[in-house]
Amino acid sequence: MNYRSLSYLLLAAALPLAAQTVDLTKPPVSKDPRPYKLPPVSESKLPNGLTILLAEDNRFPLVTSRLVFLAGNKRDPKEIPGLAASVATMLMQGTSSHDYQQIAEDLDSLGGVMAATTGADSLNIEASVLSENFDRMLALVSDVARNAIFPAPELDLHKQNRKQTLMAQHAQPAFLANEEYRKVLFGDTPYGHVGPTAESIDKLDRKALEDFRDTYLVPNNAYLILVGKLPARAQLMKTITAQFGSWEQKKVPAYVAPKVPESKRELVLVDRPGSVQADMRLGKIGATYNDADYFPENVGSTIEGGGPNSRLFLDIREKRGFAYDVHTEVAALADAGTFSTVTQVRNEVVGEALQGILDHLDRMAKEPVERQELSEAKSYSNGVFLLSMEPQRGLADRLVQMKVMNQPKNYLETYTTKINSVEPDQIESAAKKYMATDNDAIVVVGDAAAIEKPLEKFGTVRVVKPAQ
Amino acid sequence: MGRLTRTLVVLLAVAAMAFGAAESDFHIPFEKYKLQNGMRVVLSRDTAVPVIALYVIYDVGARSEEKGRTGFAHLFEHMMFEGSANIKKGEHFKYVQANGGVMNGSTHPDYTDYFETMPSNKLSLALWLESDRMRSLAITPENLKNQQEAVKQERRLSFDNQPYSTAIVDNWPKLTFGNFQSSHSLIGSFEDLEAASVDDVAKFFKTYYAPNNAVVVIAGDFEIGDAKKLVQQYFGNIPAQPPPQRPDMTEPVRAEGKMETVSDQHARVPGVIVGWPAPKKHSAEWYALGMLDAVLTGGQSCRLQLDLVKGRQSVLQYQANPGWPFASFNDFKDPGDYAAFLLYKPNYRPEQIVDQLQQEIDKIGTAGVPDAELARVKALLRYSKVTSLQSSLGRAQLLGQYELLDGKPEMVDSDFTNLFAVTGSQIQAVAKKYLTAARRDVLVIQPAPPSQAPAGAKEGGK
Repeated sequence: MNYRSLSYLLLAAALPLAAQTVDLTKPPVSKDPRPYKLPPVSESKLPNGLTILLAEDNRFPLVTSRLVFLAGNKRDPKEIPGLAASVATMLMQGTSSHDYQQIAEDLDSLGGVMAATTGADSLNIEASVLSENFDRMLALVSDVARNAIFPAPELDLHKQNRKQTLMAQHAQPAFLANEEYRKVLFGDTPYGHVGPTAESIDKLDRKALEDFRDTYLVPNNAYLILVGKLPARAQLMKTITAQFGSWEQKKVPAYVAPKVPESKRELVLVDRPGSVQADMRLGKIGATYNDADYFPENVGSTIEGGGPNSRLFLDIREKRGFAYDVHTEVAALADAGTFSTVTQVRNEVVGEALQGILDHLDRMAKEPVERQELSEAKSYSNGVFLLSMEPQRGLADRLVQMKVMNQPKNYLETYTTKINSVEPDQIESAAKKYMATDNDAIVVVGDAAAIEKPLEKFGTVRVVKPAQ
Repeated sequence: MGRLTRTLVVLLAVAAMAFGAAESDFHIPFEKYKLQNGMRVVLSRDTAVPVIALYVIYDVGARSEEKGRTGFAHLFEHMMFEGSANIKKGEHFKYVQANGGVMNGSTHPDYTDYFETMPSNKLSLALWLESDRMRSLAITPENLKNQQEAVKQERRLSFDNQPYSTAIVDNWPKLTFGNFQSSHSLIGSFEDLEAASVDDVAKFFKTYYAPNNAVVVIAGDFEIGDAKKLVQQYFGNIPAQPPPQRPDMTEPVRAEGKMETVSDQHARVPGVIVGWPAPKKHSAEWYALGMLDAVLTGGQSCRLQLDLVKGRQSVLQYQANPGWPFASFNDFKDPGDYAAFLLYKPNYRPEQIVDQLQQEIDKIGTAGVPDAELARVKALLRYSKVTSLQSSLGRAQLLGQYELLDGKPEMVDSDFTNLFAVTGSQIQAVAKKYLTAARRDVLVIQPAPPSQAPAGAKEGGK
């Protein structure tokens, strides 16, 4: 009895205090995370080879659609770089039954958006729409994918405008840096170009577009990915079959990825007179998603230059004030990846900043990372993965990536486990391969008169003029 | 951290929709209340994904700045990441990232905001981080010096080294506004940034970064009761301050609109900005202007796309919205503007482009907007509402902005209800009355000949 009342009193005395005060000098202790389960994804195939991925997401009256073809910039013919991207743009400019204006008015009236884009490995018709109009949107997607006619006046306008937008892109230092960087790393292999040239735009004609479309935009080379508030399954499959079932399959030429050139130290300065800072992009060939050391490379990149808690940010920006932005990028493509460091520094500190970055990268290849920073980087990667699932396109775009990069079916379910299993020695050996700087390509965009001299200590500087 | 706004990041993208909010069959639940120190709190629960967004928005922006201190609000935003009583320099980033979150801050004409998006079990950590800097920011000469350099570097990166951007941030406000509060450069000059002192920072902190000058929003996966208790624990005892004096933002009486030309050493394709003073925010005319903008520039079948890009083939890209360039439809205080930025083909003269745009507007002023076209625009608005509210952060931002600027988070819905109510004849009337040639300002941005000496780069980065 006594015992019980005593404990009751103690408890009563303690409770109000605990409710009111909190120790502000220390970070609060967190509860356990609430687990999150990805919505199930069902995969099936139409008889013509079109693969269909479906995931329910009833949070919003919205459907996100991706029709993806394994037909990216790497399939551009050598003499027409940029063809895939022009095909994508021109799909929307007129079909056998609708001109541009009709397509555009239909699309807007559904309460939706649609755009066709290309990356290195794929051409993607992206759409999303209020769920009540899903059927009509799917009909539009099917129409532009299957029935585009590339009308001559629209093609003429596209060519004119593409030349102008290319000029506008060439006014941007970040674009110039990336364009040159890919050229240096991949040479004349298919990943070596990011877009067209003024000359290749001149070569565009209806036949080239049709040839590309008829070769690659076929159902057995495509994935239809739908995420959202979808109709009941049987009804949905009926709608999909109605839109895509009669689409004829066709053999697609095999793609054999050419061997990527060996990375070597090369220093290119793209002269941009009047630049008040130097845009730098440096790095080399990195892993693909399916390489065993992709996850170690990825986690290592987070520690090195992934966000404001990274080594480069804390040193190059916060401590030394050289740059506003400095970060690393792991860009895994289907056949080869890149590992890059990107920054923009003021002209006066080009040499110091570049040396600082190279030292950091080389250190990753020589010393194991600390346990603490490793566990922080893992939490960050896992958290960002979770955050990306909030908007509906998050899951849709992860599914696109899974298919284009040929990732295993359980890729998303095992993502967190794979991040968590990375060890310091794995990062160190990945860094030896992907981060050590002796054979880095270094591309700098800036005013050669101001920055060529300090760059000379890093190698022979090749100065080039930007393309028009 | 922090960007001045998101607008410039997508400068060359064709603007799809100008709006960021709401519609009738899709509602965002919220609850709001006030702490004793005057801090306003908005809670919006949605447990679909175990994440939370904490959004803190302060009633101070670039238009609060004093003469000789241009760019100060943004410089101050950077100082907010440099540490406080219990969080050392650099630790803010570390705590957020190491716990699986992302964060940022941004400075706008009429507010400054800070956010963390994190796994939902980290809510108390996010509240601890935001409350510690509201209570006890570390204001030191070293931090100030370091961030002055970072901001100057940001100015070089985002403005001085980019096409069009310097004209947009420095020249356009000066041309179209007469009152210093609105007409000065939001990123600031190097001179003013360097002149900022530790005392300025301390005074600004005390005046504006008080709980009674802030709104705190939590959106996402949490229990309302827990959140209320935590907010009280972390923010409840931060003392209120006297309400800040607000600057007079009244515009002087305008003469005729003006036209100027600047030469841009980085641009290769010519551009032109065309703008008009806007009607009073939230007036019936204001909503009509919002719909007029959507008719002109929203979606794939808008007037500028069909008539200028496709029809006359004179315009390459365009973007426009009420509040352009640094505000959106919903997130500023009067006075506001409506402006469009167009890149055009070099075989046209800028006057021709301005005339063509004016003709598009006059056509609506004369003939109004057909019902089918209005219906299309409204369908797109419904889509825009749904997509902008998909993430916790998207919901938190809109609720917070409406509470701070209007005292009404429910405007997440009602702003859209008001847009839906706009008729074709109201759009016609606002085109005729407000977007006239006489009231119009024009800034032409001409690519400089290649040999010309650098114009905008005063400092060159010493």
